[in-house]
Amino acid sequence: MIAAIRAERVPFRRRVDTPRTDGSRLAVGASRKPSTKVEWADLIGRVASRRDQEAFKALFEHFAPRIKGLMLKLGCNADEAEEIAQGALIAIWRKADQFDPASTGAAAWIFTIARNLRIDSLRRTARAGRLGTDAELADSPDPAEPADILISRVENAVRVKAAIERLSAEQSKVIQLSFIEEQPHPEIASQLGIPLGTVKSRIRLAMNRLRELLDES
Amino acid sequence: MTITHHPPEALLAGFATGALDEAERLVVGVHISACPRCSRFVQAIEQLAGKSLEEAPPTAMSAGALDLVMSGIHGPRPAGTVRLEAGRATLGGQDLPELLRSCRFGKRRLVAPGISMQPITLSGSAGSRAFLLQSAPGTRMLEHTHTGTELTCVLKGSFSHDGGYYGPGDFDYGDNEVDHRPVVGAEEPCLCLVAMTGNLRMNGLLGRLIGPFVRL
Repeated sequence: MIAAIRAERVPFRRRVDTPRTDGSRLAVGASRKPSTKVEWADLIGRVASRRDQEAFKALFEHFAPRIKGLMLKLGCNADEAEEIAQGALIAIWRKADQFDPASTGAAAWIFTIARNLRIDSLRRTARAGRLGTDAELADSPDPAEPADILISRVENAVRVKAAIERLSAEQSKVIQLSFIEEQPHPEIASQLGIPLGTVKSRIRLAMNRLRELLDES
Repeated sequence: MTITHHPPEALLAGFATGALDEAERLVVGVHISACPRCSRFVQAIEQLAGKSLEEAPPTAMSAGALDLVMSGIHGPRPAGTVRLEAGRATLGGQDLPELLRSCRFGKRRLVAPGISMQPITLSGSAGSRAFLLQSAPGTRMLEHTHTGTELTCVLKGSFSHDGGYYGPGDFDYGDNEVDHRPVVGAEEPCLCLVAMTGNLRMNGLLGRLIGPFVRL
């Protein structure tokens, strides 16, 4: 209860935004989805079982530019975004056998790989700013990964999937825009075509609905 | 363990997307590892983040990126993350959550009568600090507000304040609008993991007198 009330006051975390260029949205189509539905999970499976380079290249073509695009949106500069995208693809090749389609979607799995690289990249930047203490901290473990492991993904997967499917398209969109893509409220209002004054309550409603669906399903 | 107090959704989402700083991620992570409800929430945000990734505007990779990646996958694997041996966490040799067992701890010290803290060494220089805070049974903390935010996860024992009762696994979020005065449960010492930005501000005359000496 308290958390729900207090949640209203949590400031949105905002990194210093790189200036948005108006052309960014026009870039859609630069790498269009194939017309037949590609099962990304199958391609990851082929990389895992046969070290299939063609499947891997298809994953690269589709996901690398999107990882770069999302990282730019999240405030990375172009070099960081490029590096994270390349690193994520290399990690996909190496960790393909750890991908479990029963516990997560292909895109979500790839997102978590990119996210962990982003965390590492932020940490490296912070560390570089603390010259002199590097040696002492060189073997600090990565808290991002153990936290991942501690989540019992498979047990949760069915419930999570059911909840996401029952969330309305508008509600999942508003959560994506506010909590994942960290867009400011005026941007959300214009993307969803709703008045600025109702953005906050839409976000709250969507979050409550997601909590509710996860609790009941 | 019955957990009744959870992190605000924005923090859980920040955990899922990697937007939290190191200290915050540690405290939220410890709560999540004890709370199936919040771990489901984080997983749901990860699935939605997968959608965001699918819908992200594709941005052209640099020329030669594919070649670099192809040579990367055939190159030597990087050395894995160094795992520190367990048992480094001291504070009276108490059992600590798995996430904390690999942390580096600074020296434990008394900060006020009945209250000791042990800082956790983080690699980044980012905003917040993390530490373990142990308070003797029945300790009445000074009324305080924060100049920043304070994230707390109870590891052992309990405390209560205006917001309710907080036992093991419970998460408390305090910011500069919260003015609270926690009292530690009488049964046993209370051990908390705390991430803090800014500083504590003690209210009242006594707080103003001793405030400068209580540096957390």
